[in-house]
Amino acid sequence: MLRLTIKNLLDKKIRFALTTLAVIVSVASVVGVFVLTDSLRASFSGLAGDIAGGSDLTVRVAQDLGQEFDRPPFDEAFADGIDVVDGVDDVIPGVFSFNDTVIIDDDGEAIRPQGPPTLGFSWDPTTFFIAAGDAPDALGEFATDVSTAADNGLIIGQTYAIDGPTRQEDFRLVGTFRFGSPDEHTSLGQTMAAFELEQAQDFLNRPGQYDAIAVVVEQGEDVATVQAAIQAAVGQELEVVTSEVIEDENAEGFDEFISIFNNILLAFAFIIVFVSTFIINNTFQIVVSQRIRELGLLRAIGATGNQVARSVYFEALLVGLFSTVVGILFGLLLGQGLRGALNSLGFSLPAGPIELQTRTIVWAAAIGVGVTMLSAIVPARRSRTISPIAAIQNDQRLAGASLTRRLWVGGVMTLIGGALLVVGLFVASTTTNVLTNVAIGAVLIFIGVNTLSPSFARPVATALGAPIARLFGTTGEIARGNAARSPRRTASTAGALMIGLALVGMAGVVGSSLTKTFLNTLDNAVEADYFVQSSSGGFDPSVTFAEEIATEIDSLPEFDSVVRYRFAQSSMRIGGVDKDVFAADFDLVERHLDADIITGGLTDADPRGSIALHQDPAEDLGVGVGDTLTATFPDGETDELTVVAVFTDSSIFGNWLVDNDVWEAHFVRTGLAFASATVTGFSDDLPQAEQDALLEQAAAAIAPVAEQFPTIVAESRVEFRQSQQDQLNSFLAVIFVLLALSLVIALIGIANTLALSVFERTREIGLLRAVGMTRRQLRRAIRWEAVIIAVFGAILGLILGVIFGVAAVIAIPDTFISIVSVPYGQLVVYVLIAAIAGILAAILPARRAARLNVLDAISHE
Amino acid sequence: MTDAPPPASAAAAARAEGATKIYGSGDTEVRALDGVDVSFNLGEFTAIMGPSGSGKSTLMHCMAGLDTLTSGEVYIGATPLSVQSEKDLTLLRRDNVGFVFQAFNLIPTLTAMENITLPADLAGRPADAEWVDKVISTVGLTNRITHRPNELSGGQQQRVAVSRALASQPEIIFADEPTGNLDSTTGGEILAFMRSAVDEYGQTIAMVTHDPTAASYADRVIFLVDGKIVDELSDPTPDTVLDMMKSLGD
Ligand SMILES: Nc1ncnc2c1ncn2[C@@H]1O[C@H](COP(=O)(O)OP(=O)(O)OP(=O)(O)O)[C@@H](O)[C@H]1O
Ligand SMILES: [Mg+2]
Repeated sequence: MLRLTIKNLLDKKIRFALTTLAVIVSVASVVGVFVLTDSLRASFSGLAGDIAGGSDLTVRVAQDLGQEFDRPPFDEAFADGIDVVDGVDDVIPGVFSFNDTVIIDDDGEAIRPQGPPTLGFSWDPTTFFIAAGDAPDALGEFATDVSTAADNGLIIGQTYAIDGPTRQEDFRLVGTFRFGSPDEHTSLGQTMAAFELEQAQDFLNRPGQYDAIAVVVEQGEDVATVQAAIQAAVGQELEVVTSEVIEDENAEGFDEFISIFNNILLAFAFIIVFVSTFIINNTFQIVVSQRIRELGLLRAIGATGNQVARSVYFEALLVGLFSTVVGILFGLLLGQGLRGALNSLGFSLPAGPIELQTRTIVWAAAIGVGVTMLSAIVPARRSRTISPIAAIQNDQRLAGASLTRRLWVGGVMTLIGGALLVVGLFVASTTTNVLTNVAIGAVLIFIGVNTLSPSFARPVATALGAPIARLFGTTGEIARGNAARSPRRTASTAGALMIGLALVGMAGVVGSSLTKTFLNTLDNAVEADYFVQSSSGGFDPSVTFAEEIATEIDSLPEFDSVVRYRFAQSSMRIGGVDKDVFAADFDLVERHLDADIITGGLTDADPRGSIALHQDPAEDLGVGVGDTLTATFPDGETDELTVVAVFTDSSIFGNWLVDNDVWEAHFVRTGLAFASATVTGFSDDLPQAEQDALLEQAAAAIAPVAEQFPTIVAESRVEFRQSQQDQLNSFLAVIFVLLALSLVIALIGIANTLALSVFERTREIGLLRAVGMTRRQLRRAIRWEAVIIAVFGAILGLILGVIFGVAAVIAIPDTFISIVSVPYGQLVVYVLIAAIAGILAAILPARRAARLNVLDAISHE
Repeated sequence: MTDAPPPASAAAAARAEGATKIYGSGDTEVRALDGVDVSFNLGEFTAIMGPSGSGKSTLMHCMAGLDTLTSGEVYIGATPLSVQSEKDLTLLRRDNVGFVFQAFNLIPTLTAMENITLPADLAGRPADAEWVDKVISTVGLTNRITHRPNELSGGQQQRVAVSRALASQPEIIFADEPTGNLDSTTGGEILAFMRSAVDEYGQTIAMVTHDPTAASYADRVIFLVDGKIVDELSDPTPDTVLDMMKSLGD
């Protein structure tokens, strides 16, 4: 019996290949993601050690709030106390800056890669190793890392402008260095500028201050003892930590980054696995139904139902094992390929060894064998019921689940899935809860709808085929009949496409709603006429530009007011919870942005002691205008702030807004995330010609500023609206591309089913050819059958996608999305794309069918 | 097609000249047809008989343009088949030849009516409705015409198959054991129908059969042994056919 199964597999090579293809793709995608992230983790953990540097201890301000780059600096006088501690060999004070120190190259372009940070440092001989030239040791000098120099053609001896946190200044490049190790530069794509200490303190805005002091302990001294002694010397204001702690912190930071990355990629990989499961299941159904006659014959000569079922399982096992091995091999290639693909998208991922961990292999086997065996359960159980009579009957069909049972099972699953989705979106509180509920809910809905769909596949396919039948006569009629003849097969083939398009449709609805909301906010809330933002900020609010730029624009007569904006994530603690906080200039901001203030006002408020907040937290905390709130900041200081305004539009400032005075008192970062300006004399009530003239003057006036500071772009309201829309669209495009991968799998699925159907219908095809159907007509019939199936799946998927999308939009806080928008035009395009996918999928099966020898086909068993 | 030789007899609907079909080579070589010369005259009903493996089906296939000869030539009307492209052969089958197999003659997704008009539909031209109606009523299928094949009995299915072959009014119909799967009563109905198509409409039919009674419906019987025509009988009756079979068997 088992020998028969093996012979069978070897005999039907095409069928075997088609069956394994979907499994291999699943295994490879999961393995690829694991291999990529494991390899990254390995190279990053090396990097974490490199960054920790050659010192033993680090002295810094203890911080328990906000981002690492918001850690406050401390007075340089502390260094004197450390120098004299017993066992201290060397003391290296340092200052750093994050994402606000940008070198400008010869072409006047800012060297600011998308993604990796730009960093400013004071020179540290334990982590920087000169490759060419000298270390910076005087005012007006700087050094940069070897790869930034090489990539941007920076030449030692030449002078470059650098944008710092507060201003722009010219520096002479005196050397290039390797980071982390003397022999090899460690790079994540970051851009580094290093200065002599005093120069760094001045330029990076740390007057008389250090961010950290690195301490090298004398050879042979006990690090812990020295650590305690230093701690005693500096007092409670500062903390002394070992290089292991720093390394762990760095590794943790990287780990967090890799985990996010890993989770996103894994989510896509599992979508692929899920989609493939439908295809594999479908393939097994077809394979078993093709073997009905053979299995019936086996039963006739004495094989038991169990034996027959076992042979189906055994086939699944073989397919699973084979695909796992091949899948792992392809996964290793894919991991490498992904790294390259991500790098070409602008990431700079470090090269490193390929890591194939046991965990990856276990996952691969679990998916490869597990999914295949799982897919074989239903066909195997059905095969048990094949009767010996099937062997001699001509019209053989596998018994399917009864309609009522199908409706029950499918209906209940869909309902439970829907309930979980609702719970996940509207009730669950923690992110994990939301995600698990939504994911399981969505999976159940997919399976449920797929179980239901055979019950309406026939009428829908018949209806979809009607125009095709009208257009192409008999050929179309045959295509339509074939698509409708086996509703279960049509439904499960379409199922794979359904999932892909549900995801795409959902992304479409969410994306379109996001864009609509954003543009709506822009149109309704924005009163300012000009906007300044970082030239490569993207959506990263930690990327900032120098305050000097805002000041410069303010000094132009063409502009009569400028508002500066800053933003920090989870950096203001109120009532024990860390809040995101926005800062703006209270006296002017109401003329620039309208957050729908319902009580109070900002313009006349005391800038240093005031706060404004959104209606929701105001209600939660039971505060209103005139009440005070106690807020703690990253510098450890606490302010009593008076509520001066409550607003209802959270899409502009989020929930919390303070004045720049409060910010400057508590944050080390001075760079601006954003600035807005009003044009002198401009009003929307002016005649269009006058408006245009004023804007033209403003543009002419601001152009030299933008040219001097390539770190920014200055845009009029119209330009800004367009560039924001473009940015959103390109962000959405990346998501669509990733989701489109699942369409590729679905395409393989359709091709697979068609190929097997063609095989199954060989005799019929022979007959059609015998009575005069040309090859072209035959290909056309198969092509349109594929189109009907694809469009069926697409429509089903898009309906689900729109439902999911609308639910998501309702569940997402209004801060991000408040308007529901369904992109109907896009949806139609997706259906067309699905139809084209169907045509593509039909190419090979159709060609194969057309090539069949008529006589062989007719006598085919 | 331009330099086709003049047909030997102007009255032939189809004919074979020196038709030879060799399967395999060397030790495994089988001469399925070995220099067969045969002509099926217009309006004639010919039965082809012979032992199993004698080459009957091969002859049908080669003459219907479903298979190609190793050597020799087949003409449908005046058209030689060996020089036709695959596509032209397909069109020839569609427009000039009818074929009825022993089983599996119908497309399961199409109704009986759609199956009957299939060749015309494939050609993208309307079937001759009057003629089709006539065929259907003659064959007694009028009230089953919207049914799918799996809702029809085996005999009804074969009647649909014969109707399809007749519907396009081809030059010749080839039928390979059309009654082989049917009981004698049902088979008789089919044969009577084919006979009347010849008598009333002048249809030309060539039919393979193993059954002397079936052969007796024909105008003439030819006997094939080892790929060669060995004998021929005009106006056969079951008894004369049986006698002939016996004499050949000896
Ligand atoms: N595709 C093929 N390959 C090799 N040999 C073949 C092939 N088709 C037929 N033959 C051989 O050619 C010979 C004639 O076969 P054919 O099918 O024409 O016989 P037949 O007279 O129709 O027999 P039956 O009455 O059993 O249907 C047989 O010996 C058969 O084995
Ligand atoms: Mg035969």
